[in-house]
This record gives sequence, structure tokens and C-alpha cells, in this order.
Amino acid sequence: MFTAAAEGLLKQAREIPEEELGRFVSHVAALLQGRDAGAEAVDCLQRLHLVVAATKYPRTLDGKFVELLQTVLCSPKYPEQVQVLCAAILREMSPCNELILSCDDVQDTKLLSLISSILLAQGDKKAEVSAVAQRVVKVLEGRLPEGQSFRHILPVLSNVISISPVSLAEEQINVVSKKMVDWLRYASTQQGVPQPSGGFFSNPRARQPGPVTEVDGAIATDFFTVLSLAQHYTEDQWLNMQAFSMLRKWLLCYGGEGLSTPNSDDRSEMDGSVISMVSTTSTSSHLLPPKERLREKAFEYCQRLIEQSNRRALKKADGELQKACLIEAVTILDIICKQDSSYVYRTLSSLKILHSRISGDVAFARALLPLAQFFLNHSETAAVDSDAVYKHLFTEIPAQLFHNPSLAFEFIQFCKDNSQLFTDTSSIFRQSFPNLFKFLAWNSPSLISEFVDLLPFLLDAGTAIEIFHLLLDLPCLTAALDIQLSTSCMPSARSTSLSASEKAACDPAVKPATCLEAFRHPLYKSMFQYLLRVEAAPEDSPERLIPLRQLLGSLASSPRVVQCAETVPVLLELFFSVVAEFADKPLINQLVLLVLQRSDQLYETSAFKDDVYRVLSSQLLTLCKLHPALLVELSKELLEFLASVNNIRNKEALFTHMVWAIGEYMSVSYDKRCTVEQINRFFEALEATLFEITQLRPLASIPNYAPRVITVLMTTLTKLASRSQDLIPRVSLFLSKMRMFVQSPAVTSVYCEEDREEILNRATELMNLLKMPSVAQFVFTPPVDVATTAFQRDANESLPFALRIVSRLLEGGAGFMPG
Amino acid sequence: MSPLCLLHDVGAPSLGVGGSWCKHWAPPSPVQGRAEGSGRNMPRLPAAAGRAASPAPPQLPDEPVSLQAAPGGLFRLRPGDPFSGPATVVWLAVLALGFALVCEPHENLLLAESTLRRLARRLLGALRLLGPGAEALLRAGHAEALLDRLLPHGQLLFLGEAAAQALEREAPAKALR
Repeated sequence: MFTAAAEGLLKQAREIPEEELGRFVSHVAALLQGRDAGAEAVDCLQRLHLVVAATKYPRTLDGKFVELLQTVLCSPKYPEQVQVLCAAILREMSPCNELILSCDDVQDTKLLSLISSILLAQGDKKAEVSAVAQRVVKVLEGRLPEGQSFRHILPVLSNVISISPVSLAEEQINVVSKKMVDWLRYASTQQGVPQPSGGFFSNPRARQPGPVTEVDGAIATDFFTVLSLAQHYTEDQWLNMQAFSMLRKWLLCYGGEGLSTPNSDDRSEMDGSVISMVSTTSTSSHLLPPKERLREKAFEYCQRLIEQSNRRALKKADGELQKACLIEAVTILDIICKQDSSYVYRTLSSLKILHSRISGDVAFARALLPLAQFFLNHSETAAVDSDAVYKHLFTEIPAQLFHNPSLAFEFIQFCKDNSQLFTDTSSIFRQSFPNLFKFLAWNSPSLISEFVDLLPFLLDAGTAIEIFHLLLDLPCLTAALDIQLSTSCMPSARSTSLSASEKAACDPAVKPATCLEAFRHPLYKSMFQYLLRVEAAPEDSPERLIPLRQLLGSLASSPRVVQCAETVPVLLELFFSVVAEFADKPLINQLVLLVLQRSDQLYETSAFKDDVYRVLSSQLLTLCKLHPALLVELSKELLEFLASVNNIRNKEALFTHMVWAIGEYMSVSYDKRCTVEQINRFFEALEATLFEITQLRPLASIPNYAPRVITVLMTTLTKLASRSQDLIPRVSLFLSKMRMFVQSPAVTSVYCEEDREEILNRATELMNLLKMPSVAQFVFTPPVDVATTAFQRDANESLPFALRIVSRLLEGGAGFMPG
Repeated sequence: MSPLCLLHDVGAPSLGVGGSWCKHWAPPSPVQGRAEGSGRNMPRLPAAAGRAASPAPPQLPDEPVSLQAAPGGLFRLRPGDPFSGPATVVWLAVLALGFALVCEPHENLLLAESTLRRLARRLLGALRLLGPGAEALLRAGHAEALLDRLLPHGQLLFLGEAAAQALEREAPAKALR
């Protein structure tokens, strides 16, 4: 498949010209119409199938040929292989207008199966689905001719239900339900007879088939199920397997009151849990209507499967089947109990026993999910307390099995299906969110979109801060899980004498050489334990994890950690958008402080840090917009942040956005407490910073700050000055020096022409604006109601526009005024 | 409807096996294991298709390929992308080939995984997927027959090892070309 030959052939098939295809088709037609439809015909049909399948847009084959294919399909004189290929080609071409096929009067079940597969692919424009459904049920009702088997058409029925469950009328549903009862409950318990080979020496009486066996080799103790083994199977045993395979779908559609589709919300069935007035004991069950009888037999079948799953399978594949059967049985029992709550009591006791049997066995962990779902759905009906089940599920399973991708996926689906459980803050479900994030940390690509759906349910005022820290530390969690997994794979202490590394791990004075050693090192142990906790535990001093973060930096290039790091920005954005909806002012303040604080304490990979800064800086603005007064309330911390030039170097996006926010929201119109002194304090801090980054020291090189930093600082200083007009002369003086700055040789070597021009232009515009202080005040601090017009809201457009207009006015631009 | 669609994808060829659903006929999309999401830059699955392709053709293994340790997983497709209803995809990677099985929401995923593994093992043999040359593309009949046995009309079957082997024995011995 990887070879050039395959690529070449595919290309050929796609690009074959119409003419050549037409000739080929005629050749195939001739072969089919001739007597000998042998190996050459098969080969040609395979090629034709490739041509039809390989093109994205359907090829139209000659109408006569399409008719011929249908004729060949229905004619018994052609070998099966040819018929299968004709059917495959017709399906590939679907929907097809030239179809004359019909399933009416088709007796042969194999043919009916082939024809149905084509008809069901037509998009149901001419009620094909209904026609197929009618025919199949008719055949199932009737007597089977010799050599035929229902096995070929039962799956067709299953398909029909998926497409259009309304295709079956009630009598037909009853007919099939009755048959399913027979197949499920009364299949033979003797093994089938092998097909006689028909040779001279064969003796049909030679081998008597014995009884079927269980998966552990014991003789079967009860009726036949999918977990019964035989060398050869009888027809009714095959039907038993197929009937069970479609049982869930059938019950979902037809088992409740009225009709449902298999994919409709199961909760709609809750209303149908009328206690059945008819006795459901086995002795009188033959008096039950077909639907209820099937329910009873399905119940017995599932109970038997649960018992059979307790046996120790001799073959591995049978062991896998046992687990799948267990999951299916529990799910079907859940459906049955929803449809008839009189089954709840009988089911509950056996499922409780089942739970205690498998809860300690990780091999059966996936079955714990449908079990928990059952208890969630029905414990209340039975007034039974199942908290222990949920606690075990949410505290033990994620911690032990986060690395199992299928379990991880199903677990998160379970959480999403039961999202209403997470709304209660004190519940075990909500409290175990640190455990849930382990699934995401390990299996990021497949679970990120599921977590995008789940995160809003986990977030509230009580959990927001802890989840914020958790998201920022998600790659650390991945690294820690990796180490945890490695240590659990290592052989446990073999001898009494500790190895050198184990000794080092115990000695607090010795620094651990590797992450594995650190896992058991007393200094790091508690940090690991916190990171790998199973329940929510708000941490007062997040800087406690700094040494661990640094240590785990050695795993930063591991693919799993990298993938996890890529998901964090997405989740952070979502986090803020959800939190913005419910956060009160104290929480907003806390988050802003944490953003500034954590910006120094991030996992050390440059791509990760850049992405996180990008998200945090834009979200910082959102928070400021929600609660502009925070600038005043947190002025001390903000001043500290602004004073450090390192912050510009390392976290430019964060810094510039913060400065911009100050310029925008630090005004008495947003908070009465914003006094002139406040404004002056911020002014001085920003002025000092701008001074430091623009001062020209002889023989020293200018560090390369982005021009945007300089322009934003200048603009913000101007804005502040417009609100505290004593500052205007200082700003004007500073701005007037920018020309010198921009033209100095040190700067020309570092910034390009466009950037220098931009800085100079902005400085000039700002200076011009300050020459008209009242205009400046209006432009920079519009009254709050004016600020909500569309023009003002577009921050990117309105300010530069205003500046340009004012500049033009001041320069007395000729031709500026019309006329 | 045929659950089999021979697909060729940009990165590396992948054999998409769509089964067990058929709301409308729609060619299964070339599933290369991409996680769907909020439309932002979503990280890509460590998809077998494309990543592990080595320049030299792989040696044909002497023993049957063991798929127990083959990477695989599950992910969800949202309604409309590309199927009309929600779907779950079970995938399996064997060397540089990707196999995918598209499941409806109510189907048994553990069963789907073991069915896919069984199918992949048989398809590797019947279609000679790991061999040189383009034979695999011209064995649609074999693929159809296999799928009809193990995944008839897209229906997942609860089959033990004995039952699966009994099915194999029943298949009429076709003369291998």
C-alpha cells in the first residue's frame, strides 16, 4: 500500500479517460454476457470497482451496463464472487438513478441481503427502506427453504432500524420480537454438526456433537449465549448471536412506550417506566405480550452473561469478549429497568454483587462505567445509597488508569452524559476534578474537544482559582504522570541493600540526579503528591511548586508533554470566557493578581510560555473591562509590575496590554477613587520605565524592545496627562526628545526605518494633541456613555483616526476642508 | 450499504472501514485521526498515517502481525462533521496504515475495538496490505467477503474466537490468484 505501484495504480484509476473507460466497460459486459464468467471477469470487475471507488465524484457508467450488473446480480447462474463484486460496484455508485432492482418476491436470503445493501444506500428517495423492511420481515415470518439461512438478513433489519425505525409496523415489531425470544432463549445447547465433506470415506454418523461449553471449558450449565463455545454452530445458535448483537438497538427503538430512535436521549424513556401490570414471573411469561416477553428474556440473557463473565476464559479473545458482554449486559439491564421499573429490585442486587466482584480488578474497569450509570439512574427508585460506587469510580480509577486511552475517552463521555452531577459543588464528582484532568494531561489530542465541553461544568467561584493553577500546570502534570508510571513499572525493592540511587532518594541533603529519584525524595515528594492529588485542595502558596516545575523541565521535549502544552491556551481562553460570566469583583481582582504572579512561574518551554502570555494578556484586558476599578484597587501590585524592566523583556505582551489598560481605564469616570495622586503615581512609574528603555547611554547598545512598547507607553502617558493636566508639560518635553532618540546612531542600527518613523509619527501626533488639552481630554477620556458608541468602541480605529485629524487641523492642511 | 471504502489520502494511504451506521449514504471521510474541536488550532493525533511511513518498504512479517500492542484509540466526531449525526471513531495503526471504524453513539466501543483488531488482522492477510505492489487495490471482492462475515451490514457481532474461526471455515475456499 505504501508503494509507488499502488499510488500509480490509484492515479491511473482516477484519471482514466471516459473513452477508455467506455471501452473497458464494453469488454466487461461482453465477458459477463458470454458463457464464461470466470477469473477474467472477476479481475475486470475488481478493476472497475477500483475505478468507481477511487474518484471523489461519482463516475457515471453506461445505463445499459448498470442494468446488466443488476441482471447478473439477480441471476443464479453467476458465481457468488461475481455477484458480490457487481453489488459492490452498484453500491459505490449510489445513489443511482438507473436502478431497477427490487426486493419484492426475492426468496433467496443471500440475494436479498445483497440487494438490500444496494437499496439501503439510495438515500430513501423512493421508500426503499420501507420496502426492504417489509420484505425482510415477510421472509423472517415465513418458512425457510432448504439451504437458506436467516443469518444473511437479520443484520439488514438492524441496519433498517438505524436508518428509519418507523419502517416497521407494530405487528411486524411483534413478529420479530417473538422470533428474537426464541433465538435468544431457546437456541440449541448441542454443538452443530460439521458440513459433511461428502467424500467416499465420510461417515455422517461418525462424530456425535457434544454439548456446548463455557469459556473455561466446563459443560454449559444453562441456555446458549454468545459466551458459549462450540466447534460448529447450528443455525439457531448463529441467530442467537446476531439477535443479541442487535438487542440493545432493538430495545432502545421498540422496547419503551411509543417509538424512539436508537440515538435519542435515553432519558426520554424515564417516563415510560410504568410498573407492568402483568406478572413477570417466568412461569406465566408465555402469556405476556411480545414486547414484555422479549424484555423478560433479555433480562434472563443478561443475567446469564453476568454469571458467565465470572469464569476464567481459556483463550484471550474470549476474555475480551466477556468484558464486552458484561458492558453490554449491564447497559441492556439499564434500558430494561428504565422501560419497566419492576425489574429494578431484581437487577440491583445482582449488580451490587457484580460491582464488588470487579471493582478491584483493573481488567474490568471499563465495565464500572455502565454500572455506575445504572446506579445513578435507579438507586433513587430503590432508595439505595450508591455513594461508595461513585467515590471509588472517581478517586481510584482515573489515578490508576489515566494511561488507558479508551477508558479515558469513555470516562469523560460518562462525565458529559451526567454533567448535571457536577453542578453541586460539594459532590464527589465536582471535587475530583484534579483526577479528571489526568485523563486530559495524558491523552490530550483525543480528549481536548471533550474537555472543552466539560470544563464549564467544573467551573464555579469555588473552583476557579484552583482550576486556573491546574491549567497552567497541565504540562507539569503530564510529566509527573510519566514519572509516576515509570516508577510503578520499576521492579520493587529486590534486596535489603538499597541501590545508590535509592539511597540518594532518601537523603534530603543530596539533590536528586534524575526525575525518577526526585519522585521519592523527601523534598519533592509532597510536591509530587500535591500535583497528583485526587481531590480538590486549594493551594495557598502556588510558589511551593516552583522547584518541581524546574525539575520537570527536563521532560519538556517529550511528545506527550508538548501535545498537552498545545491544549492549554485553548482551555485558558475558555476558562476566562466562562469565568467572566459569574465572577464577582473580588474574584476578578484575585485572578488579575494571579496572572501577574504566575507569569513568572510557568513551565519552561518557550512556545508554551509565549502562547500562555498571548492568551493571558488579552484576557487581562477583558478582566479590566469588566471591572475597571481593579486598577485602583490593585495599584500597589500593578506599580511593582510596571516598574520592573525585566517584565518588558520577558513578558512583552503582558506588559504592553497592562499599560494600555491603564491608559484606557485609569480615570475618574470609571472609578471615583481614581484621584489625581493615583494618576500621578502611575504616570511617574511609566515615565521612569520609558525613560529607562529610551535613554541613550554612550558606548552601550540599545536593547531591542519592540517599537510597540515605546508607542504604547507614550500614548498611555499622554492619556494620563490629559486627565491630570499638570503633567502635560512633562510629557510634551519627553515626546519632543523622541526625534533625537529616533535619529541617534544607536537606534538606527537596531530599529528599521518603518519602526522609527512610526515612533516619531506617534510622538508628533501626541504632542499635537496635547497642544489642545480639552480636545485631548475628550478624545482620551470620553464620558462613559459616549464611549459606548460603535465608533468609540473600536479601539483599534478610533484613536489613530482622531490623532490624524487633530494633526491635520493643527498643521492647517490645505485642501482638508471641502470646498 | 458497503462499509468499505478504499480511500487514498494525501499523507499516506489509509484503508477506511466505515461500519455500523448508515443514516444516509455518504462516503466515509478519510479519517486520519484528527481530533475535532472548537475550530481553533487543534493538536493532531499521533496519527499512524503519515508519521511512521519509512522510506524503505517494510518487511513482510513471518508470523501473523500481532495487533495487541498496536497504537489505537477513540475520538468523537461532532454532528455535521462529516456525518449528519454524532459518531465515535475507533482507530488502529499498523505500521503506516490507519484503520478506522465509525460507530453510532449507542454502540459497544470495547466490542468495536476488538472487531477492528480482528478485521485489521484478516485484512492485512487477505489483501496483502504489507506486500509490495498494488495487489491490495484489486482485491475488493476479498474485502467485501471479509466484511460481510465479520461486520455484516455494519452490524458489530459478539463473536468469540471459536465462532470467528467457524465463520472462516465456512467461507468457500476461493482460488487465490
